[in-house]
Amino acid sequence: MTQAPERDSSGRFVKPDAPEPIPSDADIHPMSKLLFGWVSSPRTPTLVLALVILIAIILLGVDFTFNRHEYFDFANANGFYALWGFGAFALAVLSGWPLGKLLRRDEDYYGEADTTPKDVESDS
Amino acid sequence: MIAGLLGQINPGLLLVLVGFSACLIPVQRVRQAIVVATPVVAILLLALAERGTDLATASVLGIDLVLYRVDSLSFIFGLAFLIAAFLNAIYALHTDDQLQDGMALAYAGAAVAATFAGDLMTLFVFWEITAVSSVFLILRAGTKAAYQAAMRYLGVQILSGVLLLDGLAYVYKATGSLSLDAFTSLDQPGAKFVFAAFAIKAAFPFLHNWLQDAYPKATVVGAVVLSAFTTKLAVYAFARMFPGFEILIWIGAVMTVFPVFFAVIENDLRKVLSYSLNNQVGFMICAIGIGTPLAINGAAAHAFAHIIYKALLFMSMGAVLYRVGTAKASELGGLYKSMPWTTIFCIIGAVSISAFPLFSGFVAKSMTMSAVAKEGYIIVWLMLLFASAGVLEHSGIKIPYFTFFGHDSGRRVKEAPFNMLLAMGMAAFICIAIGLPIIGGFGYGWLYNMLPCTITAPADICLASGKPIEVYNPYTLDHVLTQLQLLMFAVLAFILLKRLGLYPPERPGTILDTDWLYRRPGFGFVQWIGTVWGKAGPALTGFFAKIGAQTFEKLETTFSPRGAIAQSPITNGMAIWSAILLGIVMLVALLAG
Repeated sequence: MTQAPERDSSGRFVKPDAPEPIPSDADIHPMSKLLFGWVSSPRTPTLVLALVILIAIILLGVDFTFNRHEYFDFANANGFYALWGFGAFALAVLSGWPLGKLLRRDEDYYGEADTTPKDVESDS
Repeated sequence: MIAGLLGQINPGLLLVLVGFSACLIPVQRVRQAIVVATPVVAILLLALAERGTDLATASVLGIDLVLYRVDSLSFIFGLAFLIAAFLNAIYALHTDDQLQDGMALAYAGAAVAATFAGDLMTLFVFWEITAVSSVFLILRAGTKAAYQAAMRYLGVQILSGVLLLDGLAYVYKATGSLSLDAFTSLDQPGAKFVFAAFAIKAAFPFLHNWLQDAYPKATVVGAVVLSAFTTKLAVYAFARMFPGFEILIWIGAVMTVFPVFFAVIENDLRKVLSYSLNNQVGFMICAIGIGTPLAINGAAAHAFAHIIYKALLFMSMGAVLYRVGTAKASELGGLYKSMPWTTIFCIIGAVSISAFPLFSGFVAKSMTMSAVAKEGYIIVWLMLLFASAGVLEHSGIKIPYFTFFGHDSGRRVKEAPFNMLLAMGMAAFICIAIGLPIIGGFGYGWLYNMLPCTITAPADICLASGKPIEVYNPYTLDHVLTQLQLLMFAVLAFILLKRLGLYPPERPGTILDTDWLYRRPGFGFVQWIGTVWGKAGPALTGFFAKIGAQTFEKLETTFSPRGAIAQSPITNGMAIWSAILLGIVMLVALLAG
């Protein structure tokens, strides 16, 4: 869905503010480069997905190799935890759509949007 | 001899006294040195204390009070509180706030002293001090919103105290004793009042709003401090007085589930952590309801681990708020580029709370899950399993991902101050140290050896359920595999939902919770009554006024402090004065010997 262009009080179209450019990564924290340099690589999302799928398959595979001893029989089924984890997570996240519509109001709904405590010394 | 004497000082009381005094020390470094050192001294005092005997007693108005008593249940909670007090003091070093430094210590001290209280009256006194001291941590934020939230918070906390006082009066009247022995039924005199008092402080469903209302509006330091004590003190109190109450199983299970849904849509990440706190306390409450030795151990271990990793998560979000000026997910992202250490520590907190093997949450939560399954509660067990995936969603992924990774907000800030990093580093160390398998005396054994229900020295409540005390091993192939399956498939769900554009975007806004009922219609109704009364009042002349006056007089003779109702156990203004008097007497008694 595209948003209608904004107009000012006299009805003329207003040029939308250009988003602020993202600062270059040249001066990021040296520790960040060392620890998280890989994060910004364009291939990372695909690699992470592949890695997670690989781990998930291995975990599922191991489940078939031995019998677990659960207190509930149904939990002994191979892949029960995998299914429950996936399903529970998806349910929680997807419920965010209707719940957001139902429960989200303006930030100053209770008339108190000023919630930055005074001991904050932000430098951004 | 000296060790024996020192072992009789309630370490919590030391913190309370030093805390209140510290408010008067204007020199920042002197005050902070004292505030950091006191919890260390208190831990040493606790180490000297003998277990299972009344270490300090007093007799006030013919009532025998036990001011200090340590057993294996109170020990682990008290120690966790003291460690948290120490970490909090370090976390606060960058800011010069006399009142906050002092009150944070006094608040921690009140929680510790309440934990080591040996009777209901002593518990009540420190219960109230936690309320009164902690409110400053919210007020110091200095905003109008914080002020209003602090007033609501204080009202609710004081209500909890009044209920406890009512309860103890009934208990005393019925039994002639104020002992902390566990209740056997809610129908016992006073039991319902005490239960309700604890329920408010533990933030049970529908009584939980004070938590999500106040904590996110507290100062950067205040939210960290608040996260550790009040709710876990209530967990301790439930474990002490209501172990094995079946109703707690169901309340706990509901408590683990409902915050998951609020946490998904909430934008303020400190509020997300507050909902997450609710969810975690639910696990503990559920375990206490099960009441077997394994479950009590689960609750205690979970409380210990939780105090540390929840503080760590609040610290990391506090550091972000401190540097960026906001903790709203919609305005954050990409902060790993400027706050790498905070990122690492936050991730350690996140995997700990998600209960990944090798981290503290895993060794703690496995016990609760096993205990619930062992007693055959299928639905409860499935709810807890759902909530475990839910924890991963809001605390394991949402918090670190939307703050430090995700969409780059373009904000480039300084890394958190060194003292914050130090406190986070120490908390992160504990999360790992108590979560690892036992290798060469290092690992989760350190936590497990402190649990209340050990074979060598079990606390009294461990034997009440009639179930044997067993040695528990979290690192079986079954546990590790099933937990990893649950978590990794949940992670997979996250990645897929995100890629498919099905993950709801972070949006600014206020999320309505049940507090809407009293903040909107409730408040509106009261305002309406006020308006109507203001207009109708003067018109009530003659006949109506007479009837009104007569009714009021009747009500007064029944309900006023001099009325008929107040003739029953302590319920009038005297109660407050007795409490104050009692506090002074206790101080004198403790200082004297």
